[in-house]
Amino acid sequence: MSKNLAKFLAFMLVVVMVFSLVACNTTTPPVDTKDTTPTPDTKDTTPTPDTQETEPDTQETEPEADPLEGKGSLEYPAFNVGSLEVALGSADGGEVGYDVYAGVEGKDYTDEEVYTFHDYTAGMSNLNWNPLSWETNDDSAILDYLSRGFYGFELNSDKTGWSITCEMAEELPVDVTADYVGQYGIKEGETAKAWKIKLNELATWNDGTPINADTYIYSYQQLLDPAQLNRRADSLYAGNFAIVGAVNYFNQGREAYNALGQLVADYEAAGGNVDDLYIDAVGFWNAAGYIDAEGNEVSQYVSVTDETEYSKDGAGDDAFSGKSLYDEYFAPGAQYESYAPDYCFTKQTYEANYSWDNVGILKTGEYEIVLITTAPTEMPNYYVPYNLSSTYLVKEDLYESLKNPDDPKVNTYGTSLETTASYGPYMMTYFELDKKYVLSRNENWYGYKDGKHLGQYQTDIIDVQLIAQQATALLAFLNGEIDNVSLVAADMTKYGASDYIRYTPQSYTTKLTFNSDETSLASREGKNAIVLSNLNFRKAFSLAIDRTTFAQSYTAAGSAGYGMLNYMYVYDPFTGASYRNSDGAKAAIVDLYGLTYGEDGDFEDVDEAYDAVTGYDLEAAHEAMQLAYDELTAEGVYDGGNVTLVLSVYSSDDTYIQMFNYLNSALQAAAEGTDFEGKVALEMKVDADYYDSMYSGNADIIFSTWGGAAYSPFTLLYECYCDAGINDDPNQMEYGFDSSKVMIALKINGHQFVESLQRWALWMDAQDITITSTDGELTLDAFGNYDADSRCAIFAKMEYVYLANYVNTPLYYRNVGSLVSQKGDYALQEYVDLIGFGGIQFYTYNYSDAEWAEVAGTLQY
Amino acid sequence: MTKYVLKRIVLMIFTFLIITTICFILIKLLPLPAIKQMGRDVSLIEKRREEMGYNKPIMVQYGLYWQHLLKGNLGLGEQMYVSLEVSDVILQKLPYTIVVNLYSFIISVPLGLLLGIYAALKKNTWKDHLISTLVIIFISVPSYVYAFLVQYLLCFKAGWFPLTIASQQEATLFSWKMFHSMLPAVISLGFGTVAGLTRFTRAELSEVLTGDYLLLARTKGLTKNQAIVRHALRNAMVPILPMILGEFVGIIGGSLIIESIFSIPGIGNLFVQSINLRDYNFFMADTVIYTLIGLVAGLVIDLSYGFIDPRIKMGAR
Repeated sequence: MSKNLAKFLAFMLVVVMVFSLVACNTTTPPVDTKDTTPTPDTKDTTPTPDTQETEPDTQETEPEADPLEGKGSLEYPAFNVGSLEVALGSADGGEVGYDVYAGVEGKDYTDEEVYTFHDYTAGMSNLNWNPLSWETNDDSAILDYLSRGFYGFELNSDKTGWSITCEMAEELPVDVTADYVGQYGIKEGETAKAWKIKLNELATWNDGTPINADTYIYSYQQLLDPAQLNRRADSLYAGNFAIVGAVNYFNQGREAYNALGQLVADYEAAGGNVDDLYIDAVGFWNAAGYIDAEGNEVSQYVSVTDETEYSKDGAGDDAFSGKSLYDEYFAPGAQYESYAPDYCFTKQTYEANYSWDNVGILKTGEYEIVLITTAPTEMPNYYVPYNLSSTYLVKEDLYESLKNPDDPKVNTYGTSLETTASYGPYMMTYFELDKKYVLSRNENWYGYKDGKHLGQYQTDIIDVQLIAQQATALLAFLNGEIDNVSLVAADMTKYGASDYIRYTPQSYTTKLTFNSDETSLASREGKNAIVLSNLNFRKAFSLAIDRTTFAQSYTAAGSAGYGMLNYMYVYDPFTGASYRNSDGAKAAIVDLYGLTYGEDGDFEDVDEAYDAVTGYDLEAAHEAMQLAYDELTAEGVYDGGNVTLVLSVYSSDDTYIQMFNYLNSALQAAAEGTDFEGKVALEMKVDADYYDSMYSGNADIIFSTWGGAAYSPFTLLYECYCDAGINDDPNQMEYGFDSSKVMIALKINGHQFVESLQRWALWMDAQDITITSTDGELTLDAFGNYDADSRCAIFAKMEYVYLANYVNTPLYYRNVGSLVSQKGDYALQEYVDLIGFGGIQFYTYNYSDAEWAEVAGTLQY
Repeated sequence: MTKYVLKRIVLMIFTFLIITTICFILIKLLPLPAIKQMGRDVSLIEKRREEMGYNKPIMVQYGLYWQHLLKGNLGLGEQMYVSLEVSDVILQKLPYTIVVNLYSFIISVPLGLLLGIYAALKKNTWKDHLISTLVIIFISVPSYVYAFLVQYLLCFKAGWFPLTIASQQEATLFSWKMFHSMLPAVISLGFGTVAGLTRFTRAELSEVLTGDYLLLARTKGLTKNQAIVRHALRNAMVPILPMILGEFVGIIGGSLIIESIFSIPGIGNLFVQSINLRDYNFFMADTVIYTLIGLVAGLVIDLSYGFIDPRIKMGAR
């Protein structure tokens, strides 16, 4: 018997092997080898926002006739958010500073003692400091030492903010748009699209090889090489400083499907042809593997004119066609019309053999380049240097030698000591895989020769070792072996009051994200998870969470969080004004939690009311919970039985368990005294792919965060929270939330506007959206044209509406608490946006290496 | 015997193929990590995945994998150690793992045997009870707990050792300085082995010591020591030696947590990381290596019984 079984298994295995070998032989595609001939230019990237100055304003208005009559529903109530007076801003945005902090006299690169900064990292397996394909913050940290941008943002002379410095560029960028009228899509009268950059002639590689315009042209050609598919290529073709022709060059010969990003009706109104649309059948219908009657497998994107029927087995089961999907679901007025921005696509075929000559990166001199962008840069005094604050240079001979002849996507540049070249203040002098790397002063760096960096860079050596365990890192810090260490919640009791603790705020707000989709929630058999689709249920849960306790108990340095955006978000880069501290943003939170201020209010002003917000109100939670019960039973979707909601978490470590226990208690506390009492509970599920699970509706509740883009607050509402499909792949995690159904009335400059949250968000994301008042008399300018305060005020109104839908509820703002060594001092003790604590350039030492060896391990923190 | 060995090898190959096939299919069935980064072009990553063949049918990918593997090509890192040869990375990291585990093996095996023998000979005395209690503690407590204790007490408080092992910038792999820096990890790794071996040796030897043939040996005039060394120990070693052999083969395996605590750049965490990051090439390379080690170890251990105890006949029905 067992012999026969073994024979059978063996036979099956052979069949599998043969099948797979045959299959792969028949389908092995030709290797995509495109050549990568050198040439042109440069640039950097990094997205951005917009801003400006002006007088603000916010204010409530008395309603006249209800502009929202009939526009709300139980699931999606409508919001009248009052009125605002707004104003347009100036074109250049404002003045920027160029005066840099002078440092401490004598404590700079001229100091002859040896100073080593010992740092650590928790992981090195992802490390890749190839400028064309780096990915992580750790990569970026190395690149900051090995390279410099065209322009730098350094600590200003009064140590309160930033100033702009010229680094790889010799002088500030010059607007030469007028010189290129008629070329690269530039029209007469346009400005801020073409920028001449004079390059720093002292810049060289660490071996002394000069860096000139050819270096930039070569590097950017490599970056955009369609065959290499470099991960940083989008730095040149996407974002707010996208270079003309870059996307065509990168995608040459390819087909791309771009999410429609709007309703079909809007697309048609703008002159689009419906027949040109495609539907993502795999994403929408889960149709992977479906076949037609002849056995042909369905493509991911199916034309709306295609009447071919595809089904699971080819025999009609669960059949659909591109046309039927369109007619039934996405056509104007159809059932899922609002999903069209996500699931309808336009097809783009990029021209093959697209010439580099059409790309807006030009060499105009031995040490001069011109960069031409697809759109003018708003507030160029700030945003052009900001967008050019990094460079992506590779050393040609080294890069060429490291190309993989079998696979153009593979290049080992920036993965070891031998494959690294530097043009920054430090160069790599030691690298050991998963152990440590050492950077030493790059004597060929221009900054040590130009006299402009006196008072900076006292550090001679940067020694970074891998210490994966925080507990080990703390011991190493106390021993004087490393010069800073991140703290965890358990450390705060001992070190929370230390003079050497520093708090680094992060742009991340940790939230509970809820699935509010009735269909997916109803599918959880025996769990009654559908209660989560009720707004009042979610609100009750939120109001039962004491965020201060939560943040203090389960995070190292987090603070109670109430808003979508935290204090890191700057709405006016010229002044550094924080969005969260603006009156509008404070009012959004105060209104959300029902606090009142002013003449008839409980508090004198919005500041006082905001300071009193806790987000914790059990009485209101009980009311909302009972209301939810009544609504759900009246709807007939809830039978009054026990409710089990699943909180999906990344791992089952202690912190998650404690957080879960707290939230479970909070939920049950919210239900006390209501008809839900004793019936609701959370269940914890470990799911390493919990984000994916939520994206597909397979999770009830998750912890979620969005961060980054601290200078682009206004784009976040759409891109992260109401995203209808940027880059084919929606970012919005709140499954089931349809922001196009949330109607908002806002009076601006005396005119009433009624639009969906999604359309407001699209407008604020600089998408091509027209917002017109209900009386038809006023059409709003592009959002970016308004002054910073106006934009801030409008955004705050939308933030309020978003939060009031309780599809997620903020818990805490993330901060990192660290201890810093007594060996040296950062220039700043408090964190400043863009500057941090001043960086390694302004770090000064109290002890040289030799002196430190005597005292290390004896100092108290 | 030869027939038996050949049969085992053939079965081993099939087992290997089945395990690797299942692992390949399972890892490919896991969804790829979501790519969500505001301001970045997600389609760029999708294009890379497309060109890396991630969207081909799994069996096609499996066939391609074998094509490469049969040519000795384990592939390149795609999500971790990006663009580096998987084999190069493993070969760079393996020596650390082997050396640390080898030191631990060399120290802990004799210690475990001696303690086990001593406890068996002093059975039911306070010395035996003390050893047995310690053994239970060390077997019950997870290794990372005493690893942290060793690090805190011996490295931080006493200052006898560095907190983490030396880099090759400071010392070569086989230098005294490197050995000294590895000792805390070696000790932490050794606790489990010593405890396990002590318990096993004590149990086996205790049983053998009560055998009739030992009484016979003593009545024939052998001294107690002669009887123990020539008869009891030799018989007790029959099950113990394969266990030691298993430990020896296991030195290539590495320890995720010990390597992490003492910053040993070994291969201990490669497997878990490759699953978390969905680096298929690293995952499969690990799978292939560990499966082979396990199967070969099993075979060698089974065969070793025949050599250690001639009474055991291989393949006999």
